[in-house]
Amino acid sequence: MRSRPGLWSSGERDDPRTLVVVFLRGGADGLALVPPVGDDAYHVARPTIGVTQRDAVKLDDRFALHPRLALLAPLFHDGDLGIVHAVGSDDVTRSHFDAQDRMEHGGVTGGGWLGRFLRARHGAGSSALSAVAIGTELPESLRGAPSAAALRSLDEFTLGSESDALISALESLYHRHSGPLAMSLGPAARDTFAALRRLQQLRDEPAAPANGAQYPANEFGSGLAQVARLIKGQVGLSVATIDLGGWDSHFTQGAVIEPLMDTLARGLSAFRHDLSRDALASTTVVVMTEFGRRVAENTSFGTDHGRGSVMLLLGAAANGGSVRTNWPGLESKLLDGPGDLPVTLDYRTVIVPILEQHGVPDAARVFPDWVDTMGAGR
Amino acid sequence: MTSRRQFLETSGALAAAAAIAGCDTSSHVRSLLNNDVELPFASPTDSAVNGVAHTIARLSYGARPGEHARVRALGATESEAVSLYIEEQLSPRQYDHAAERAVRRLEALAEPLGELYEFQPSLLRDQIGAAAVLRAVYGERQLHEVMVGFWTDHFNIDISKGDCRWSTPAHDRDVIRPHTLGRFPELLRSVVLSPAMLWYLDGRVNRRATASERPNENYARELLELHTVGVHGGYTQRDVMEVARALTGWTVRSRNTSRFGIGAVEFHQELHDDGEKTILGQVIQAGGGRRDVDALLTIVTQHPACALFMASKLCRRFIADDPSPTVVADVARTFGATGGDISATLRTLFATNEFQSARSSRLKRPFHFVVSALRATAAETDGGKSIAAWLERMGQAPFQYPTPDGYPDEAAPWLGTLLWRWQFASALIANQIDGTHIDALALRRRAGDEVALHAHLIGRAPSAYERAAASASANSLALALSSPAFQLT
Repeated sequence: MRSRPGLWSSGERDDPRTLVVVFLRGGADGLALVPPVGDDAYHVARPTIGVTQRDAVKLDDRFALHPRLALLAPLFHDGDLGIVHAVGSDDVTRSHFDAQDRMEHGGVTGGGWLGRFLRARHGAGSSALSAVAIGTELPESLRGAPSAAALRSLDEFTLGSESDALISALESLYHRHSGPLAMSLGPAARDTFAALRRLQQLRDEPAAPANGAQYPANEFGSGLAQVARLIKGQVGLSVATIDLGGWDSHFTQGAVIEPLMDTLARGLSAFRHDLSRDALASTTVVVMTEFGRRVAENTSFGTDHGRGSVMLLLGAAANGGSVRTNWPGLESKLLDGPGDLPVTLDYRTVIVPILEQHGVPDAARVFPDWVDTMGAGR
Repeated sequence: MTSRRQFLETSGALAAAAAIAGCDTSSHVRSLLNNDVELPFASPTDSAVNGVAHTIARLSYGARPGEHARVRALGATESEAVSLYIEEQLSPRQYDHAAERAVRRLEALAEPLGELYEFQPSLLRDQIGAAAVLRAVYGERQLHEVMVGFWTDHFNIDISKGDCRWSTPAHDRDVIRPHTLGRFPELLRSVVLSPAMLWYLDGRVNRRATASERPNENYARELLELHTVGVHGGYTQRDVMEVARALTGWTVRSRNTSRFGIGAVEFHQELHDDGEKTILGQVIQAGGGRRDVDALLTIVTQHPACALFMASKLCRRFIADDPSPTVVADVARTFGATGGDISATLRTLFATNEFQSARSSRLKRPFHFVVSALRATAAETDGGKSIAAWLERMGQAPFQYPTPDGYPDEAAPWLGTLLWRWQFASALIANQIDGTHIDALALRRRAGDEVALHAHLIGRAPSAYERAAASASANSLALALSSPAFQLT
């Protein structure tokens, strides 16, 4: 593991591990992203919009990647990318709002699961950049974090146009400060000045991604690139969140989600290549969605709200190169409610071991009211 | 000498004049809100924080321009002025016109409990957060507002849990605020039967319809550990279980399961364990039914550990992270002797030498920092999303602390927020915060000069090196708000 200078708040060790959560809002169709092309019932249920055996990018005997996710195949085979299937939450409302809310809170409990994770991880203290949400608003998952900043770009960190004069004047003030709290304010200020310089450096350095990585030229791509910069810049980032929305494909599903799959695959692939081996070893990306879609396509070549979907995991704790699932099968008698892929693995079962690798072994601190009733899966 | 009444009448006249002049709504609101518009003000001149500046700093969310001079003029001597200010703040008017005017457009918050459930949770969260900021920035009952913050932490609710998304505004309005400077036992009773608290700590599912059912102990434990006698209050696991039994049967109608009367708190005799209970050595006779809760609250609030625990929390908030046992005992004595009279308890606390000598020794928490900067600069603000985003960055957005212990009072957890404080100060001075505006030129003109403005911001005359840093910084206002002195109270 790399050692990093203690840039941030005083009195705690800087842990370089970063958890990146990508939320696919709108209910992404796991059966399109990772189609079970080896399952005959899949082709029966999806005669028009299904991925054919011929187009599919095979992963194993049953599962394949959608051709628009082909860029992810090498990551899977290199062991950097793991896939979990028929996974989801215990929310059965099939309501976007309810299901996202429930999933991001991690149950019926106060605060978001990432907020509680950060509190458990850092104990009382926190650094200014421990949690970043790419975008303009914090996701529910970060509610209650000891510090969480919504931002679009590193360039938002500034103390104004005359910042050099202001920073050196501040430095002299904090240096001279004595009296109560001087023992704690002084070191905290020193850490912060170091961080400011690091940020300034990051801003001034050419921002080109490493290893020829090419992010898609959209908000998701530039957001992931910012996350990679923060990770490479070693500013103490513990959690980053980024959304990719628009997966609610009731109507002409292909037209709706194929561009999104493109963006997702190109983004994740670029992120993977942008990070060094070392950086990847201390980074985990979790891609999740609130629910999957109905197994059978509807008459407008789309799919309706369902239950189980997929999670994609990239990096250190990804358990890459395999599709983990308690595959229920797709015959109609096996399906959930109106004909949905059942949730046979709880998303928290997937997250808990990742949290452990990111410094919080006590799952109850992050998911206090959760009792796993589904088991671990294979 | 201008009395408080004259002062308020003057500002009322200014507002009325502005209204008659037919100016646009925003400047109308502005003049109504900033009762200190445009008038020159005198800053403190002592080289150390004086008693007046200290008392304002601790009893309020920070001095607005002119506040120091106004308070100093209340008495012939500094100590008389301090006493009269403390009395003014301990016996506020029933209605805080400035605060209520500022929050009037947050209409959802005025809806009756049952109607709140019709709103989007995010709207309620935005509005209740904005209201907390606006009342703190513009309110005249400053100590009242500071104590609302204290009780909001003490009886913490996270607005994101279950039906709290809808009932938290009612908790703030109907449960906390009416009792803020009243009597602790009444405040506690209203909390125990608050729809939001019944959700937040699972009291609503605490039942024992048959002997084999086990009560839910969640609220019982926090009632003892966090709300009354404290973790070292001498209770046992057995007491926790007995408290849980006494509280069985109180439910709140949930949004998921009820069609009407959502939020109603009800007692169900058939879900109540009506047997005899022994709590902290005292017996509650069998058959008490819904009266068990009152018997229980009498036992816990009259227990000496409750007075000590509440005194130590108040001393920590108003004096120091680690107040002396002597001062805690003095404050606890008043709490006990007055049956938990909150104003009387605070009066004792503010009169102690420890309180008066604890100057510039506490780190402002982020909410206090942000609000004090807005007050000090006479900012106009909508208290809205931009301010909320800064509070989120610093980790102290109102009603968003996930666990029942509330945002911590100690300095340590907040030391990582300096970067955001400095950025906030720079953004505020550069007018880069949406919905918030300051007039730096007017502020300087009213203060008289740069040094006097600096003194106003930090509550004392700046030292030679502070003056030097201010002139070197090219941004003396942002520097003062970012300086160590402004982080302290």
